Amino acid sequence: MFDTLGERLNSALDGVRGSGNLTEDGVKKVTREIRLALLEADVNYGVVKEFVSNVRERATGAEVSKALSPGQQVVKIVNEELASLMGGTAHKLSFASRPPTVVMLAGLNGHGKTTTAGKLALFVRKLGKTPYLVACDTYRPAAIEQLQQIGKELSVPVYTEGTEAKPENIAERGVKKAREEGYDFVIVDTAGRQVLDMDMMQEIKRVRSATKPHNVLLVLDVVTGQNAVDVAKAFQEYADFDGMVLTKLDGDARGGAALSVVSVTERPVRFASEGEKMSEFDYFYPDRMAGRILGMGDVMSLIEKAEAQVDKKEAEAQSKKLMSGKFTFEDFLQQMQMIKKMGPLSSLIGMIPGMNKQLQSANLSDLDDKALGRVEAMITSMTVEERRNAKLLQNPSRARRIARGSGSTQQDVQKLVKQFGEMQKMMRQMGKGGVPKRMPRMPFR
Amino acid sequence: MARSWRNFFRKTEEPEQENVQAAVEAEAPDSTADVPTAEEVQARRSPTPQATKVLEEENVQEPEALPESDAVEEASDEVASAEEQESRSGGWFGRLRTGLKRSRESVVGQLNAAIAEFRDTDDEEFWERVEEILISSDVGVKTTGKLVGELEQEALERNITSGEQLRGLMVEHAERMLEGPVELDVSHKPTVILMVGVNGTGKTTTIGKLVNFLPGKAMLAAGDTFRAAAIEQLQRWGERVNAPVIARERGADSAAVAHDAVEAAKREGADVLLIDTAGRLHTKVNLMAELEKVRRVIERQLPGAPHEVLLTVDATTGQNGLRQAKMFNEVVSLTGIILTKLDGTAKGGIALAIANEIGVPIKLISVGEQVGDLHPFDAREFAEALFGEL
Repeated sequence: MFDTLGERLNSALDGVRGSGNLTEDGVKKVTREIRLALLEADVNYGVVKEFVSNVRERATGAEVSKALSPGQQVVKIVNEELASLMGGTAHKLSFASRPPTVVMLAGLNGHGKTTTAGKLALFVRKLGKTPYLVACDTYRPAAIEQLQQIGKELSVPVYTEGTEAKPENIAERGVKKAREEGYDFVIVDTAGRQVLDMDMMQEIKRVRSATKPHNVLLVLDVVTGQNAVDVAKAFQEYADFDGMVLTKLDGDARGGAALSVVSVTERPVRFASEGEKMSEFDYFYPDRMAGRILGMGDVMSLIEKAEAQVDKKEAEAQSKKLMSGKFTFEDFLQQMQMIKKMGPLSSLIGMIPGMNKQLQSANLSDLDDKALGRVEAMITSMTVEERRNAKLLQNPSRARRIARGSGSTQQDVQKLVKQFGEMQKMMRQMGKGGVPKRMPRMPFR
Repeated sequence: MARSWRNFFRKTEEPEQENVQAAVEAEAPDSTADVPTAEEVQARRSPTPQATKVLEEENVQEPEALPESDAVEEASDEVASAEEQESRSGGWFGRLRTGLKRSRESVVGQLNAAIAEFRDTDDEEFWERVEEILISSDVGVKTTGKLVGELEQEALERNITSGEQLRGLMVEHAERMLEGPVELDVSHKPTVILMVGVNGTGKTTTIGKLVNFLPGKAMLAAGDTFRAAAIEQLQRWGERVNAPVIARERGADSAAVAHDAVEAAKREGADVLLIDTAGRLHTKVNLMAELEKVRRVIERQLPGAPHEVLLTVDATTGQNGLRQAKMFNEVVSLTGIILTKLDGTAKGGIALAIANEIGVPIKLISVGEQVGDLHPFDAREFAEALFGEL
């Protein structure tokens, strides 16, 4: 039901592979797939239309880079466009020069405002602020209790006046109380509302002018569909929000709505909320969103890094050697150094699409860069002869010497030699076209 | 989009169409006595009598227009009701109509223009616009493709040349896709209804509304033991309708609450037991396993139960709604969908995608915060709303 963009691009590109330039026809095929991927990710129809035409223009006639296939090339352009649209860096919170900083939350019903209020309180307390919550949802049964319970859990005071008073009056008095009592960060929780409900939209406007917030955050569920644009426009008009909180990011929604809203309102996403725990809340990093929308991990960053660091020809020679089973410790060392140039291992693996689930649960999740350093130390303590012929290392005195030279134990060295042998065997197998049943443990532990 | 509450609750065991129809018809005088209509409930709760009037007036369009038709005549002050439509308490249909105006200007307006200019079925641009309308309503790429393909085919075969005819065809196709058994099975004693869904889609609120319409003695179970104040929220609803609420403390095992509730329902002779559960993302394996356990416990206490497992889906949800329906269906075998928050700008096209790709019927829709805003689903009206025939 849900093809990944990667698979679709591959099939779209079957005809255009191998050409030095991106042809108009090729670009068209690829952009059609990207259009579908964006629509399936819930990016607004109008936004997609404009976006795709931009990409098409940029991609047609672009020179194909050495390290990338034409498809990857287009994806790279798409990614760059997406990232620039979403805003390049995280938009951190600014605090009022004269406290308290007042933040008002607004949004549709059920998108997570009250939970966000609690999470934000905890978040700013970690930044050294003293948060204070104001409960203005006088409509939903037990909404005030919900905030009170959250406040109790976090030991954050909650200002309430029950459900009879008007929200704008509660908000105003709440902020005043916080100021008097010396709290420096006030979070005003409001009722969920539908944007067509004019009474309610007028009300949020009144709450806004009663509290004069420094920040107004629109809380938006990441599953929101095509109407996110209408919703955002209405909240922009009545609540004039200056940033968004994207909630329920721990689900599997692609979150195209975020892109639509940012592109239409030109307001950034400031926070990402993902999880049932109060601590699962952080600044939003736009670059991480592009890959999610396209459904392809962080493949782009990987493409970029590969392009910058890997000499394609050298890589090809290496892989030939690898498959033939003539792979030595020398080659291994060279590869490790190449990988290290690209960044931390764990993050590299996370960037490979499809790799995430299958391999992270397997042996590769243990990779850590310090271990890589230790392996490097062991290899550099070997003689040239030993590096070329791993069999020599079965001699315990050689292993002892290497252990001494690299600051590790004899067992470590023996383990490395054993794992390396397994790896060689596996590579030979793969070279013959067979896929090993079980990935051997990588020698980095 | 909505049909009357009459005949919504199926009280006989066999779902054979004709028999059911006859049985309910015969029972009608009784059943209207214990099943209040939306209008009655609205009248009971709404502070403004005018709201009721408008609502009733809107409902006149329905063929099976209710025994209270004399009440409709009272709503003769057309000017007042027209003004009401603009405001908050303007009846759901009126609200929906005003609400859709803005998006209609862009999307449905385009369709109208396209239909006016429609000449022949080869018109690529025309089909692209139809596609745009469907996708902009969250119908999704796949279902849109299917629908547009079918339409194109049939329009060609039947040699359709008029735009209006074509619109009729569109509505027909969408309706066919959406049609399914709508009634809630309440023929058991006690009937157990399990409410499931993602966080914030309106499970507790829907229970609070639905309990007003249920025939017989209702009982509620506060199975959301996780979210702060969820238990209190359900208790508040229970107080309003005088229905007992079975609850444990926050953090208790939700399956244990379900167990207690089924036992209590059996012991106290409740007719319908509505069990609330905590909102959960369908991707959380452990939480889905917990839900499966709740279902298992209910089944063990009362073979055949739960008789209805209803998933609430927020109408503003995009394509992720498909995944939600798929995963929940796999884990707890859904019997129906409740589409909530249709009073916003969203058209809830995801319902079409779910009906087409997952095959779970839509049973109820909710178009506002009032109790009377909950309605049985009507495929025809929903399809008409989708294509701007308001």
